Formats: sequence, C-alpha cells, structure tokens
Amino acid sequence: MSDADVIVVGAGPAGSCAAIAAARAGRRVILIERGPFPGSKNMYGGVVYPRILDELVPRWWETAPIQRWVVRRSTMVLSETGALTVDYRSNAWGEPPYNGATAYRPDFDEWLSRQAVAAGAQLVTSTTVTGLLRDASGRVTGVRTDRPDGDLTASVVIACDGVNSFLAKEAGLYTATDPSNFTLGAKETLALPKHVIDERFGVRDDQGVDIEILGGTSGVNGGGFVYTNLDTIALGVVLKLPKLAAQKKRPEEIIATLKAHPAIAPLIEGAEVKEYSAHVIPEAGYSMMPTMVTDGMLVAGDAAALCLAAGIWLEGVNFAMASGMYAGDAAAAAVARNDVSTKSLSAYSDRLNATFVLRDHKKLRKVPGLVLSDRVQQKYPAFVTSVVERVFRVDNPQPKPGLRRIVREERKRAGIKLSQLIRDGWTGLRGFG
Amino acid sequence: MTVIACLKWVTPRADDDDRFAGISAADQSALEFALLSAQPGEDVVAVCAGPSGAERALRDAIACGVTRAVRIDLDPRVSSLAVASAVASVATGARLVWCGDYSLDRGTGSMPGFLAARLGIGQALGLIDVTIADDAMTVVRRLDGARREIVRVSGPAVLSVEGSTARLRRASLRGVLAADTATIDVITGPSSVVDTVDEKPFRPRARALAAPVGASALDRVRSLTDAGAATGRSETVVLDPPAAAARIVSTLREWGYLG
Ligand SMILES: Cc1cc2nc3c(=O)[nH]c(=O)nc-3n(C[C@H](O)[C@H](O)[C@H](O)COP(=O)(O)OP(=O)(O)OC[C@H]3O[C@@H](n4cnc5c(N)ncnc54)[C@H](O)[C@@H]3O)c2cc1C
Repeated sequence: MSDADVIVVGAGPAGSCAAIAAARAGRRVILIERGPFPGSKNMYGGVVYPRILDELVPRWWETAPIQRWVVRRSTMVLSETGALTVDYRSNAWGEPPYNGATAYRPDFDEWLSRQAVAAGAQLVTSTTVTGLLRDASGRVTGVRTDRPDGDLTASVVIACDGVNSFLAKEAGLYTATDPSNFTLGAKETLALPKHVIDERFGVRDDQGVDIEILGGTSGVNGGGFVYTNLDTIALGVVLKLPKLAAQKKRPEEIIATLKAHPAIAPLIEGAEVKEYSAHVIPEAGYSMMPTMVTDGMLVAGDAAALCLAAGIWLEGVNFAMASGMYAGDAAAAAVARNDVSTKSLSAYSDRLNATFVLRDHKKLRKVPGLVLSDRVQQKYPAFVTSVVERVFRVDNPQPKPGLRRIVREERKRAGIKLSQLIRDGWTGLRGFG
Repeated sequence: MTVIACLKWVTPRADDDDRFAGISAADQSALEFALLSAQPGEDVVAVCAGPSGAERALRDAIACGVTRAVRIDLDPRVSSLAVASAVASVATGARLVWCGDYSLDRGTGSMPGFLAARLGIGQALGLIDVTIADDAMTVVRRLDGARREIVRVSGPAVLSVEGSTARLRRASLRGVLAADTATIDVITGPSSVVDTVDEKPFRPRARALAAPVGASALDRVRSLTDAGAATGRSETVVLDPPAAAARIVSTLREWGYLG
C-alpha cells in the first residue's frame, strides 16, 4: 500500500486548498512544505479575492487573518510628473460577504493550512521535495524529499510548488522555458501608524485601498501597486525580466524612483521600510501554461502558470485556491475509482476549462502582452496624461482647444500612429470585453 | 538507565507569535549528544518545562529518535531554580542529563547547575567539546582568559553544551510522520516551588576612590584605567595552601581588586 492517497507538494494557497478538498473526500493526504511553517517563505503584492473559498471554508471571513477590506480600487497612469487616476469606491465591499482584502501571506497561508489539517491532512514542514518517483511506465508514484529515508509513495501527486515548478518540469509538462514569459515582482513593506494611513487614503477602521499603477517603472516594462495593510503599506513593482536585464537597472532603484513620484511620495512620507522581498510571476498567462495532467500527477496554481496578471488585475491567489481545490477533488475521485491515469484525472482540466480559472485566462489572453508592450508602456502614459493635462489647463486669454485637436497633437508628440492606436484599442476592447 | 535532554521552548518575539518559537542551537546540541551518548537499551527522554506550544519541540525530538517526551506544564517565566526542581522530578536516576548552555532568550545558563544540585550528581558546564567513549567521556570546559579545562565524566552528571559542539541530526521523513501522532507525557509542575520573589538587579555599594593623579586630563585617565601601565605583573610562587591563599588576597588588594 502506498504511504498516502494524495501527496500535495507546497502549502501555498493552491496546495492547502488541494489538501482540504482531497482530505474532505476521505482520502489520506500528506501536504509537504519546505518552509518552517506554511507561508513563511511566501510573498505577493497583498490583495486576495477569496470568494472561491465560500465553497471550501464557509464564512471564511470570520476566521481568516485579514488586514483590511478593499473598498477603494484605483488605477493610476503615471507620466514622469503627472498622474491620472480612476478611482472606484464601494463601502459595501467592506461588509459581508466582502470582495477583496489585504492580508499577509505568512498569516493567510498558515491559516489556510490549518483548515487542511482540520480536514484531516497531515502537514509536514521544513521538508523540500527534490524529485518525483515514477514506475517503469513513467507514471508518477510519489516524491523524494531532502530528509533521510525521505521517499513517499502515493496514488496521486499534486504539484503546487509555485512558479517555475521543478516538479512540472521534471514530469515533462512544460515545453522550453522562455524568460520573456516571466516578470519579477519586488515590494517594500512600509510602516506608518494606522491613523496616518486612514487619513492619507481616506478610509477608516478596517477599510483598505488597492492602487494598480501603469507607468512609473523607470522605462522598464511593467507596472506598480500600492496596497494598505493595517499599519503598513505594500508598495512594489512588477518588471518584465528581459527588459530589466537589458536596462541593467536594479529593482530597488526602480522602487525608489516610484516612491519619489509626486503622486506617490505624499502617501508614504515618513514611512519606515520594514521588509523588502521579491518573487517571480508567471506573467504570460494562457500562452505559457503547461499540460495540467499526467499519469499520477496534477499541477495547480502558479506551478501551472495560472496567475492572472492583466494590467488592472493582478490575481494569483484566487486562481491558485480554485485550481488547487479542483485538483484535490479530481485526485480524490480518481483514487476512489482506483484509476489515476491521465484520462481518469482529466476531470481536473475539464473543470478548469469550464470555470473562471481558464475562462478568464482565455478571454484575457492577449491582455498581458498588450499591457507590457513597448507602446503601452513607453508612450501611452505620457500621451494620456498630457491630453488630460491640456483638457484641464486654463490658458486664458486663449480659448479652450477642442478635444479632438488635443488628442491629435498629443498623439503626434508622443509618436503614436493613429493606426496603432486603433489596433491597440481594438485588442484591448476585445481582450477585456 | 536513561539519558535526558532538557529543551527550553522560547517565543522570542514580543507579540508571543508561536510560529517563530523554538529551541536554541545549544539545546539542539544537547539533544544530539543525548542521542549519541545513550548506550544500547538505554532510554533517551526529552524534557521541556513549558506551555503546550512547546510540544512542537518535543515532537521534533521524537522525530529525531528520543524514546519518550515529557512536558512539564509550567509557566516559563519562573526562575531557573523552579525549573530545575521541576525537571529534577523527571530526571531522578538518570545517568546523563544534557542541557544547552544558553536558551533562545539569552538565559544565564544557571538551570543546569541548579539541576545538578537538586539531583545531587556531578556537573560539567559550558562545554565546548565532547568526546564520547564507552566507559567515560572527556569533555572540555571554557574558562576565562581563553583557558580550557579538560574533565573526565564517568558517573551520573549534568552536562551543558554550547551550540557549536554538535549539529542536530535531520529527522527522517518516516520519523517526522510518526511523531505527529506520538504521545507526549504531560505532568503538572510542582504546585509549590520555593522561588525568588525579589528579582532586583544586584547593585554593589558605592565605594569612595581617591581622585586620580596627573597633570593633564590624559594622565588622569591613564592612571584611572591603567592604560599603558606596565603589564606582565604575574608571578609564579610555590607556597603551601594557607600561605598561597593569603598571598592571593594580599596581591589582589595591592592591585586594587579588593577594598
Ligand atoms: C510581487 C507579487 C505580487 C503579487 N500580487 C498578488 C496580489 O495582490 N493578489 C493575488 O491574488 N496574487 C498576487 N500575486 C500572485 C500570487 O502570489 C501567486 O499567484 C500565488 O501565490 C500562487 O499560489 P501557489 O500556491 O500556486 O504558489 P505559492 O504561493 O508560490 O506557494 C508555493 C508553495 O510551495 C512551497 N514549495 C515550493 N517548492 C517546494 C518543494 N520543492 N518542496 C516543498 N515545498 C515547496 C513554497 O514554499 C510555497 O509555500 C503576486 C505575486 C507577486 C510575485
């Protein structure tokens, strides 16, 4: 008999949800995490959208370690000195059943793993999976770890080991790795007293703010973000890897420049840097995804490149939790059928295809490329902000210029061809539509 | 016979966040020596006086191979003496009791001494090297002034080791999995312990000193601090013990160490 029905590798959001689902279905589950506790090594920007947890942890908001509930979502376009912000506020998002929330990953992931343990999964920490065990036919039959006597067998292995998954690669589920599919996310956690954050961001109690930023990344294609925690602010950038390498800029320098921008500096003035962290993001979405299923193994979360990074959205945790849950369900059902072949396990990929997990990705598959394209990055922020600047500038005694003229002149000044503008607009409409 | 490893569970953060709690490197070395020094047939028992969170350290010890784990339910803020009396109730009759020389909260390392006194057995504390042999162990103690003392330990003893002496073995995966459900004996700490109530820091009485002599400020500072004074005042004398003791006292007085 194998040591477990299901081995889940990695106790991030994907892994813990996979373990909860499989354990609830009555399977023997072992959840293996390399950190001393789940979440200890994990970082992200800072906002989770846990709606999908309604199915797995009813009334999750009563126990989840939340910092603030996001009631303001802003998208900011930055030129060198200007800023155009679209800001939406809904205080209803600050009440049950809630929408998005800021949370620290060491808290959130640890809490989620406790739900898995409560469901009956066995959690093993400080243990790194170093490889796959396979039988003669190539079917995955377990994992090897870095502990003495460290092989474990299972009917199904679910790889939730995060971006750049060594397990998915070892199983041959990825074709070649292309660095241009990845971005580097780097962030600073900046401490300020709670009342100062409340005042500067126009919120109170446990209300929070999510700002996504286009531009402001020192000419390296990417974006930025500012999120509020109770008494810290998460401020960071997401940078396209090949561009970052080519421009020979350091991520912390780019963050420093963003912090000095006139629209950002007043928000964080006087804050003390508590933490600096960085992590790679599978940015290219649908176009870089691996095969999700093989004999005896499933891949979920960032390991399957399921992170959605599409400009105004930076969502990975919800996709990880959903895909993990579906993988756990599919693995449990396959074990019950006593058939863990690719065919039997492919209920998992069917479910991904039928739900938001792959439907969002398919719909938005052109958006990451568009948002990170040179034009959107280098030319549009200056173009858009200067149009707005001229619309609102009063040049008396000159009469107000017409909007069409402003757009034409500023488009030319920014060096954007009309045909390109129309094409990008169309791609954007179709992509987001 | 048994060999004991004493582990102190410490939550180092002000917010008492248990995720960052653990045992010191010295305690880890103690556990390793307990496992290494046990003879065939001997039990190795890990003991921790502390709150229920401390059972994580005991499970880790079980995963590493101890035969039994005991938690003494005790408020961790009591004094070393109180901890020593509680641990003594478990360690009575043990052949060897291993402790770390310091805990994660920068303790004074006094518990092992108290424990040896309670158990009425020998002690070798502050060890920086340990050689285990079947009949007797050879251990090295750190003394002041970079001096070392080599001690042979043959009878029952309490030993405290520094963190650099041994690296704790990595528990096997099977060990970790089994430890998850292993039983940990919990005993309640003594309800009445004789404990120090007043813990004010020791402040020696002020002593009047003659003002330093010297023309310049620099000279006065020199005369105060002995900086630059001729060194090498040591001398070797051969005397019988009473005369040697009298000589040490008079020399210390002469050098200004005694009033
Ligand atoms: C800068 C940045 C900002 C982001 N902002 C957001 C945001 O605001 N909102 C959002 O929803 N998403 C955001 N994301 C994306 C999000 O972090 C990921 O999509 C999400 O963490 C994926 O979850 P996961 O469980 O698949 O992987 P991970 O969270 O990476 O978890 C993988 C786990 O596996 C463990 N592990 C890895 N390898 C092994 C091994 N060999 N053996 C044992 N354990 C192993 C790791 O220690 C880790 O615990 C951001 C990402 C970055 C980098």
